[in-house]
Amino acid sequence: MSAYVYVTYIYATPQKVWDAITKPEFARQYWLHYNVSDWKKGSRWEHRNGDDSGTVMIDGTVLECDPPHKLVMTWTRPDRSKEPSRVTFDIAEYNAGLVCLTVTHDQLEHDPAMAASISGGWPKVLSNLKSLLENGKTENIWLTKNKEG
Amino acid sequence: MAKLTTESTVYVTYIATTPEKCWAALTQSEFSRQYFFGQIIEGDWRQGGRIRYRMPDGSEHIEGEILACEPPRLLRFTWRIVSMAGLTHLPEAIVSYRIEDAGEGVIRLTMLEEHPTPIDERLLGGGRSGWPAILSGLKSLLETGAVPKIAPPTPPQEMLDYMKEHSA
Repeated sequence: MSAYVYVTYIYATPQKVWDAITKPEFARQYWLHYNVSDWKKGSRWEHRNGDDSGTVMIDGTVLECDPPHKLVMTWTRPDRSKEPSRVTFDIAEYNAGLVCLTVTHDQLEHDPAMAASISGGWPKVLSNLKSLLENGKTENIWLTKNKEG
Repeated sequence: MAKLTTESTVYVTYIATTPEKCWAALTQSEFSRQYFFGQIIEGDWRQGGRIRYRMPDGSEHIEGEILACEPPRLLRFTWRIVSMAGLTHLPEAIVSYRIEDAGEGVIRLTMLEEHPTPIDERLLGGGRSGWPAILSGLKSLLETGAVPKIAPPTPPQEMLDYMKEHSA
């Protein structure tokens, strides 16, 4: 697999979706991890474990940052054992009060294990993001085994 | 020369509901009208039975045969497009809905669209744009009770081109 795409429609504003992705206090509510950066083009970003350790699970470079509509970054294993892949968030207002969020995770040719892991992970993360923004609740789905993984 | 494919499309979503409620939402028209672009599902819910999706005006849109019916876990059926200009000659696809437990009070719904007979690859964009809108609406409906109003996405241009080429 070279590209993974997940699309979800969320009753929220683009700004709310943007904040949920880029602000640790939001991300920790629905993701096992959270993202830290100053969100400027060329800046480093880190994907940290949401437990107290804050261990860096993934890091990379912000390639494009156009709040609240587009965020592109490299997705790199901290040990640099594989070539980086790339994640793009497209946040589009579909109609009033409804956002179409497209996550494209591509350039995965060099890392099949990562491709398997993220194709199990993104549906969980983005389902939980939608639940949080629409009804203020998230589900404990993290221990569920990925069929794909 | 058209490039043919047997590639599948899969869409996975996690929903805070029970398997029974999700099954009801997938198979009962009072629910399908609310999230499946207003369409009406009908089925003879047994293996070998017929299944239909009708447009909101009652005209037949999709028709097929139920290959597996195991409430509330698995529904698998053939998918033949009856009424969209430029698409009615297509070979049958197979669509499955699988419902699994994914934690306390949460299910994982997996939609799989398979193409056992090769189709023009430009057609895959139809399902890939439509299913996320339908199943996002289903999740909203089951979790919040509010009727989702997600308009059908416009198919990708290459699919519209295909439909134009194949319209009588």
